[in-house]
Amino acid sequence: MAELLRTEGLSKRFRGLVANDAIDFTLQEGEVRCVIGPNGAGKTTFISMVSGHLSPSSGRIVFRGRDVTHTSVPARAQMGIARKFQTPSVFDRLSVYANLELASFGKPASAAERERRIAEALELTRLVELRALPASALSHGQRQWLEVGMLLANRAELLLLDEPTAGMTAEETRATGELIRTLADTHRLSVIIIEHDIAFIRELKAPVTVLHLGRVLMTGPFEAVAQDERVRSVYLGKE
Amino acid sequence: MKYPPALSRLSFSWYSENAVATVIFAVLALLPAFLSGYVIYIVPQYLLYGVLAMSLALLWGVAGILSFGQAAFFALGAYAMGLAPHWTSSVDPFYLALLVSLLIGAVLAGVVGYFLFSAGVRDVYFVLVTLALSIMTEQITVSQSDITGGYNGMFIPRAQLSFGGVSLDLSADVPMYYTILPIVIGIYVLLRLVVASRFGKVLVGIRENEDRVLSLGFRTSLYKTAAFALSGAVAGLAGALYGTHASFVSPSLAGVLFSTQVVVWVAIGGRESLLGALLGAVGVAALSNYLTAITPEYWQLVVGIVFVIVIMAFRGGVAGALIRLGSRPPMEPERG
Repeated sequence: MAELLRTEGLSKRFRGLVANDAIDFTLQEGEVRCVIGPNGAGKTTFISMVSGHLSPSSGRIVFRGRDVTHTSVPARAQMGIARKFQTPSVFDRLSVYANLELASFGKPASAAERERRIAEALELTRLVELRALPASALSHGQRQWLEVGMLLANRAELLLLDEPTAGMTAEETRATGELIRTLADTHRLSVIIIEHDIAFIRELKAPVTVLHLGRVLMTGPFEAVAQDERVRSVYLGKE
Repeated sequence: MKYPPALSRLSFSWYSENAVATVIFAVLALLPAFLSGYVIYIVPQYLLYGVLAMSLALLWGVAGILSFGQAAFFALGAYAMGLAPHWTSSVDPFYLALLVSLLIGAVLAGVVGYFLFSAGVRDVYFVLVTLALSIMTEQITVSQSDITGGYNGMFIPRAQLSFGGVSLDLSADVPMYYTILPIVIGIYVLLRLVVASRFGKVLVGIRENEDRVLSLGFRTSLYKTAAFALSGAVAGLAGALYGTHASFVSPSLAGVLFSTQVVVWVAIGGRESLLGALLGAVGVAALSNYLTAITPEYWQLVVGIVFVIVIMAFRGGVAGALIRLGSRPPMEPERG
């Protein structure tokens, strides 16, 4: 497996506050990785730097061997780095189909290729029957899926998902886990997920990186992380 | 497997606007057969106001960018029409003026837009800069009185058109009417196609959620710059035609007052419908004209009251209200 993303000594300081402190992080192609940590651990700051929404105070971001530390948000999206925001960020007044269509315009493709992508996104997100409805008419969970579907229609290669199951019912959360596994296993997408839901993370059977106070505490399989004393004391113990 | 977009609630407005536009343009095309005199003189002027309104609707209604600078492009177009006969050129000054007015609008808006949008200037700050653009244009036309005639304005002879041996005297009202109407229809159709295009869809996305569009890989500042340049070009062209139609241009055409009127037309007509903006301009301009005749003291008050009522009663103007009325779905989808 080839390396997709690497950060070296990535740091972000907001005045006196160190939100990310020298984070070294590596993701392989087709890998799913959960990033967990208590509130204020720097999870959202980390993926905001990877997506380009925040610029690092120091350190480097390398995507597919290219230094993208100072590349703009749209240029990184062009390269395949796609971000799902913490609260669903869709086009409320446009239909589900129009949302996906707009996303599909992001990279050059033939009309047939775009339609195939849109159809695939509709099926995977279970929105086929709802495609004519405005996005505002969808449930919260469906809006979260629509945004993931948009990243798929956009031909993203690395998905950065910030709490994709926030506000979802148990059934929706389970379906989201399936969706992410499908994206990784059959569509060869790489995924970084920020999550709080421990059951969800366990089901996903993906390696976990624990952040604490802006630093990487440890990275490993879920079971190892769950049994680690330091992790239990800073995070799991408080659940 | 592929799925058609399916008929959405939004498509109602698309087809019904086409039908309404066809009927209105057909009536306008037949109007000189039944009416003559003042109506035939003045309707083209209202239609050019309508084009100016559409230039704003493209920007404000589609891309969500409000500009108080449309009058600047319009006035520059009119001055280009007035000055073109003085330029030495082998091209007919009328056509030259149309071309120059398009270019001035596009280049000025493009340059201003590029620097503002790249620097992340938006919302009310963009409004203020465009307001300043209007004021600057007005001041320059006042101060450069050697060229523009200053406060006294500039008379513009109506053009004599000639194409391939056939000549057309635009000083008569009917030839002028039939010159301007097809251009107005052409601009309307063109702008409708732009809105329906991929470019138009990205602009709508920018209006709805710019950060999402940016994060999907679109350099939104370039899209906004292109929209502003197109809007400036359309406003400039309308101004050039207005110049030859009115046979006169003065600095107040670039002023804040006129710029504000354009915003009022579009707000009343409905900014999310190009036809709404066009008819808003025609309707309000005709109403103002009528009221000035019967109550010179209070006409502005009446227009102001209409404005306030429309804004308070229907969000999206008259067109917005009609679209919502027509596209109410048989069943509201249940919310989860």
